Amino acid sequence: MIEINGKEIGDLSSLSSEKMKSELLTLNMGPQHPATHGVLRVELKTDSEIIAEAKPYIGYLHRCFEKHAESIDYRGIIPFVDRMDYLGAMGMEWGYALTIEKMLGTEVPRRAQYIRTIVGELQRIASHLLFYGVYAIDLGAFSPFLYAFDEREKILRLFEELSGARLLYNYIWLGGVWNDITDDQLRRIEKFIDNLEEEVKTFHNLVGENKIFIERTAHVGPVSAEMAYQYGATGPVLRASGVDWDLRKKRPYGIYEEFDFDVPVGKGEKGQLGDCWDRYHVRVQEIFESIKILRQCLAGIEEGSIMGKVPKVLKVPEGEIYMRTECPRGELGYHLVSDGGKTPYRLKVKSSCFTHVSMLPEMGPGQLIADFVATIGSIDIVLGEVDR
Amino acid sequence: MLKDIASFLNSQVSGSKAEAYEAEVGDGHVSVAGEHLFACAKALKESSEFDMNVLQVVSGVDYADRIEVNYMLASFTKNTEFILKVKLPKKSSDDIPEVDSVCSLWKAANFLERETYDMVGVKFNNHPDHRRILCPEDWEGFPLRRDYVVQKEWDGIEVNPAHKVNSADHNFFKDVIEKMGGDQKKVTYSWKSDAES
Repeated sequence: MIEINGKEIGDLSSLSSEKMKSELLTLNMGPQHPATHGVLRVELKTDSEIIAEAKPYIGYLHRCFEKHAESIDYRGIIPFVDRMDYLGAMGMEWGYALTIEKMLGTEVPRRAQYIRTIVGELQRIASHLLFYGVYAIDLGAFSPFLYAFDEREKILRLFEELSGARLLYNYIWLGGVWNDITDDQLRRIEKFIDNLEEEVKTFHNLVGENKIFIERTAHVGPVSAEMAYQYGATGPVLRASGVDWDLRKKRPYGIYEEFDFDVPVGKGEKGQLGDCWDRYHVRVQEIFESIKILRQCLAGIEEGSIMGKVPKVLKVPEGEIYMRTECPRGELGYHLVSDGGKTPYRLKVKSSCFTHVSMLPEMGPGQLIADFVATIGSIDIVLGEVDR
Repeated sequence: MLKDIASFLNSQVSGSKAEAYEAEVGDGHVSVAGEHLFACAKALKESSEFDMNVLQVVSGVDYADRIEVNYMLASFTKNTEFILKVKLPKKSSDDIPEVDSVCSLWKAANFLERETYDMVGVKFNNHPDHRRILCPEDWEGFPLRRDYVVQKEWDGIEVNPAHKVNSADHNFFKDVIEKMGGDQKKVTYSWKSDAES
């Protein structure tokens, strides 16, 4: 036995955890990190691989859209709202159009309502497919991304034909939609969704039922229903916690009350209720529900005009309104205050991603860093919408 | 429903001065006195009749003499929602009004109140982490005030330098309209009007 400073080396009791240095390591994750989906910075305090504290910093994409909106007329704001959630732009436009139409009391023609539902649901599918792809990349599987983007590309091609743009459409206008949809396009959508149903089943078998994927996501980052209410979580994050809440069912807008579809909720099949796997599974199931709605749209679409009567010089009557819609990532709300002029007095946007980011400080502690990546991926944030 | 809420608040919180305002266009609201906001919010959250379990968003609106803070409350169990409003008087243009934070009732309020402070300039008392959120921490002024003027320099960096502002884009339509002799119809959505002219 060699003695150093009066201690025998080899005596394991001197290496017990109480005597070891236990300083927390500060680690910056982001803003340029492939797994933070844009420019989110999270300051992590870690004890070896375990996170002790997670502090999100946002604002890197802040453009103060709300200030811009105060100096642009009501029609000119539509291209700006596209740029919030650039992966679900149709939903952003639709919510904005509904807000102004409700204030004006505009009647939207039936055909325009159907077209809005079709593009809205296709956008939801495109957004969820993107989630499926990038989530697999977050967890280290590259090929599902290519499968998902192949299908998503077909939707973007169709949107390009309809609106002239692949991501930022400016397609849903106040009172209706910009461009009519042709019978040929409708037939192609029908063919596409028939094919997609089989494809998504394959996708789910490839990733969702994969042993490694389940090990990485089940029991990780659980959100209870009570916590979801506390943080005001909405959309797939709330539904994965077992809450049957979907605005399309609970407060139907557009013509959603005419359609027959189910609201998928998390059941904790592979692990705990509201864990990452549940959030993944809710989104995959929502693709099938969207396909159901699309089938009913294609069967019921009516002939007619695509633009309602909206005055040329648009002045919204004095008052305020809070209107919310169900977007792919959660509920989107617009709080409009009008003083009767040509521009909004104040336009406040409730972004679901913003509230979901605020959950990270509670979800992070106690997790491994790699699991935290899985957690950030599973709440599916778009930083354009967080920062606006 | 707004009237029920107002009478409930008046009976539960003395001095809350709850008033229901039903709007002809858009949404109405219930306004309460600023100093009793926390008590009112607490009563609404804990009452079994209304059960406002979700705070959706906090939205501040700046006026010349006051700042209004709107709390969009919702009950996901009873499927109801309404706007709870406080009107905070503003003595001068750079005055920062104060109101109690509701962070201890809804954790969502943490980020939402920070955003309202950052953008509109309202101080939330008893907030656990009262900092700016979207702008840098040493930013001056509150961008969503009506009289906001952007600062010239931040951290040694010139804000909006002339060579970065794309004036060509700004002046593009102005130039085109001038060339067309001031007739806007000839410029917008050009194909049809071109053929006609």
